[in-house]
Amino acid sequence: MNDAQTLAVEVIAIEQVTPLVKHFTLAAADGAQLPAFSGGSHIIVVMNGAERVYRNPYSLLSSPHRLETYEIGVRRMEESRGGSRFMHDTLRVGDRLAIAHPVNLFALDKIAHKHVLIAGGIGITPFLAQLEDLHHSGASYELHYSVRSTEHAAFSSQLRERAGDRLRLYYDSEQQAIDFDGLLSAQPLGTHVYVCGPAGLINRVIETARGYGWPESHIHWEKFSAPPVGDAFDVFLARAKLNVHVPPDRSLLESIEAAGVEVPYLCRGGVCGFCQTRVLELDGELVHNDHFLSDADKARAKSIMPCVSRARCKSLVLDL
Amino acid sequence: MSVNKSKPVYSPLRADTSGRYHLLVGMGAGAVALNRVLSEFRTEAPAALRLTQVLYTPNPTATAAIEAAGEAPTELHSFADVTALHRFADTTTPHSFADADALLRELRSMLDRSLMGTRLYVAGPESFIGRVLQIALSFNLNKDEIRAEHVGTLARRVHCVHCRTRTEDVRTNIVRCDGCARWLMVRDHYSRRFAAYMGVMIDAEAPGELPPLQEVFT
Repeated sequence: MNDAQTLAVEVIAIEQVTPLVKHFTLAAADGAQLPAFSGGSHIIVVMNGAERVYRNPYSLLSSPHRLETYEIGVRRMEESRGGSRFMHDTLRVGDRLAIAHPVNLFALDKIAHKHVLIAGGIGITPFLAQLEDLHHSGASYELHYSVRSTEHAAFSSQLRERAGDRLRLYYDSEQQAIDFDGLLSAQPLGTHVYVCGPAGLINRVIETARGYGWPESHIHWEKFSAPPVGDAFDVFLARAKLNVHVPPDRSLLESIEAAGVEVPYLCRGGVCGFCQTRVLELDGELVHNDHFLSDADKARAKSIMPCVSRARCKSLVLDL
Repeated sequence: MSVNKSKPVYSPLRADTSGRYHLLVGMGAGAVALNRVLSEFRTEAPAALRLTQVLYTPNPTATAAIEAAGEAPTELHSFADVTALHRFADTTTPHSFADADALLRELRSMLDRSLMGTRLYVAGPESFIGRVLQIALSFNLNKDEIRAEHVGTLARRVHCVHCRTRTEDVRTNIVRCDGCARWLMVRDHYSRRFAAYMGVMIDAEAPGELPPLQEVFT
């Protein structure tokens, strides 16, 4: 994916659903139907901020059976680099945005006998779309949704309407916590577990499931890393014959794009591996922040995911 | 050599200590492989043996052949293997079945009661492995939950593409279908869903013209 392949959309509704989350409804600028997608898909939203371009991945939460609009939920991240603040503070109904076609890196297993869905906070969004798919397929599922307090329980009435008593809500404010052992120690064969939310929740679910002998193919998770800030460094692009400076608050991918060189990408969150780039020379060390490369590959330092990873180095040459 | 990639690939069974429950299923000489797994658990994770079940059936064809030849059962043959299994009776009692059908019925009901964290190990003739995997597939068990080792005969289960009858225990390059009596060529095209190799009529264009009958899957 690159920006030439994006779709033009218009913001047709914005709703503040919790103190931190806004719900955006987007329609194609030319009024046409939007591309089909399956529950768990995300889009990249390209935002033209005053000083820079932001490209953030957001899960589609609307029904895959309605393609007149796409809906996303955006949590305001105070400490972040500005993409979610742009969505919250600058974007108005009627504004236009570019989005990349939906990509699904968090799909439901189609032949699973049962689905256990676990969400923390804004991690609920991919499950909203998946509930529509589950509703249509009639598959067996349960949804566990953990939030800070009632006022932070985004989309809860919509969830309750769709999932009924298959939804279980947990409020931190009332010391309610998901019983991971109870949940994962006695599921029937053919169950798949899906988790989306903060890193702590994801790790807890993965570790608990593995502890009870769940094989990797039955554990699904999605965590989009925002590109972490780090030290500034310089990179030389061998094919473009170009020196690029990467400032602390910009990712390697964003810096390369700002220099006019296109890098194919899909998730921009260290998940999909699409932007994997060969490292030709390195004097220093890579700071790998992705969830794609194996530990062995990371140690080998022969490739890097420029969407989230950085370097601490005197020099770095990439095959771009 | 056939270039058909559908033919399953098997590898020696190893104890998978990442699992919590272990279901060992074997036929005939497959007992040797199951014993190897049980020994590994004994040394690596003895506690796992309490959560391990063994389902076993002798291979009637092999047993009959031994008896007919008047041979004493050797280590590789079914009777000795059953005895060997009983060496683990202190921790794991094997459930013995008269035939594969009875074993597979019990396997189905066990899988129905089984929990996530279960690993399935299967060893025996290919046609038996195929039938076990067919059941495992229906319970949505994935590759990382199943291990299969081929022990013993290469005899094939053949699915007639004309009348859909399965002819068992086929050892020859061509075979007369148990259902429609057509002469079938036994292909290397394997169906996991049918747990059988495809058999296609060989003399459709020139009735009666057959290649020499050869024993190739022994």
